[in-house]
Amino acid sequence: MFGRRQRAAPDTFHSEVLGYLEPLFATAIRLTRNRADAEDLVQDTMVRALRFRDRFEPGTNLRAWLYTILHNTWRNRIRDTVREATDVDSERIEELASRPDGPAELETPERVLIRSTMDVDLKEALDELPDAFRQAVWLRDVEEFSYAEIAKMLDVPIGTVMSRISRGRRLLYEKLADGRGQRANGKGHAQVPVSR
Amino acid sequence: MSECRLITEQLTSYVDEQLDATRRVEIERHLEGCVACRGAVAGERGGQTVLRQHAKRLREEPLPPGLRSRCESLVHEHARAASLPGWRRTLVPTVLSVILLVFTASAIFSLATRRSDAVLAAQLTADHSKCFKLFVAGNPPVMDAHEVEEMLAREYGWKIHVPPSVDGLQLVGARRCLYADGLIPHVMYRAANGQDLSLFVMNGVTRKPSDLVTFGHRSQIWTKNNTTFVLVGPSDESGRLADATRYMMKEADR
Repeated sequence: MFGRRQRAAPDTFHSEVLGYLEPLFATAIRLTRNRADAEDLVQDTMVRALRFRDRFEPGTNLRAWLYTILHNTWRNRIRDTVREATDVDSERIEELASRPDGPAELETPERVLIRSTMDVDLKEALDELPDAFRQAVWLRDVEEFSYAEIAKMLDVPIGTVMSRISRGRRLLYEKLADGRGQRANGKGHAQVPVSR
Repeated sequence: MSECRLITEQLTSYVDEQLDATRRVEIERHLEGCVACRGAVAGERGGQTVLRQHAKRLREEPLPPGLRSRCESLVHEHARAASLPGWRRTLVPTVLSVILLVFTASAIFSLATRRSDAVLAAQLTADHSKCFKLFVAGNPPVMDAHEVEEMLAREYGWKIHVPPSVDGLQLVGARRCLYADGLIPHVMYRAANGQDLSLFVMNGVTRKPSDLVTFGHRSQIWTKNNTTFVLVGPSDESGRLADATRYMMKEADR
């Protein structure tokens, strides 16, 4: 999984690895939804990165390599848990795919929503997404990785990555719109502030 | 396959502006006459935009206290090991693997012999060594006992008293460790002479008092109010840790 053996550049590797701690931790929190688990995950990622350092190809993307280790480590951890992420995602994909359309015609409400969304609302909405959708949209829109890089990290085909990004973005938008409508109307289920 | 279906498959590439001009024009022509696909594009673009606008702040998650220094220690240790002669470099992971194997075997054995003090001591000694090696390497910052108590309560729901630092003994870390089939708090201290002490707290567990040496470490076990405490440290035949040990045993079950 880490490619062929090759000696890494000796002097920059260690300092560069440490430079990615914060973004790795932010990603680990969205993966685990728990700061303590995220801390352990980042530390395990560092241990593995150092152990497999010789397998990193100098000149390639160190950041993408570290994120691949992070996701592999996380997958290994949850592999035997009862809650199987892909099953959950499949259910959500079926549910979303069965809908005749996404959020319908958007005019100004979309712009209003984007402007007014708070970080805390966004994090909550992200954490409510099925795991596979959350990982895909995070890696694409927050970390700005390519489809191919994400496919390698998540160990799925590129087509699956694009499908998850698409569903994840739309579902996230719906959740944010729902949350905003609920706050505007008080408690109870509110209308999505867009016309269908 | 309907045109809507084909459009849906390329929605992400379209929203991410990854399509060539020809394909893009085809999709836009379809969108002009299809309300459903326009809605899908708007929804996906909305999710994409809100994430990208907040991306910088989303990436700025403050690191937990100690994580950076622990990772720096790991990196420095690795860099130092990399500079060793080849045979020493290969010996280190081999020895660590053997130790890990022994400790893992002890842990598995403990599941079947949960009442054995020797096995409990062996397992917690393994955790003591592993956690200090991995999480408190180098010169760790001194931690505030109240903050550690709050962290253990917040993260794991444990309400325990954490003995604060005193002269000659500093609180340097706290985390969870696996004991039998559950997790327990592990609070870590460093004495002025550089020796390490661990306090493990097991709520709802009672044991007879015990004092034994395993793997070169001394484990003192005692119970109060249905909670068992285990203090693990060097066997310390010199008695240099006697004051620190007395303090911990007096303070822990307060």
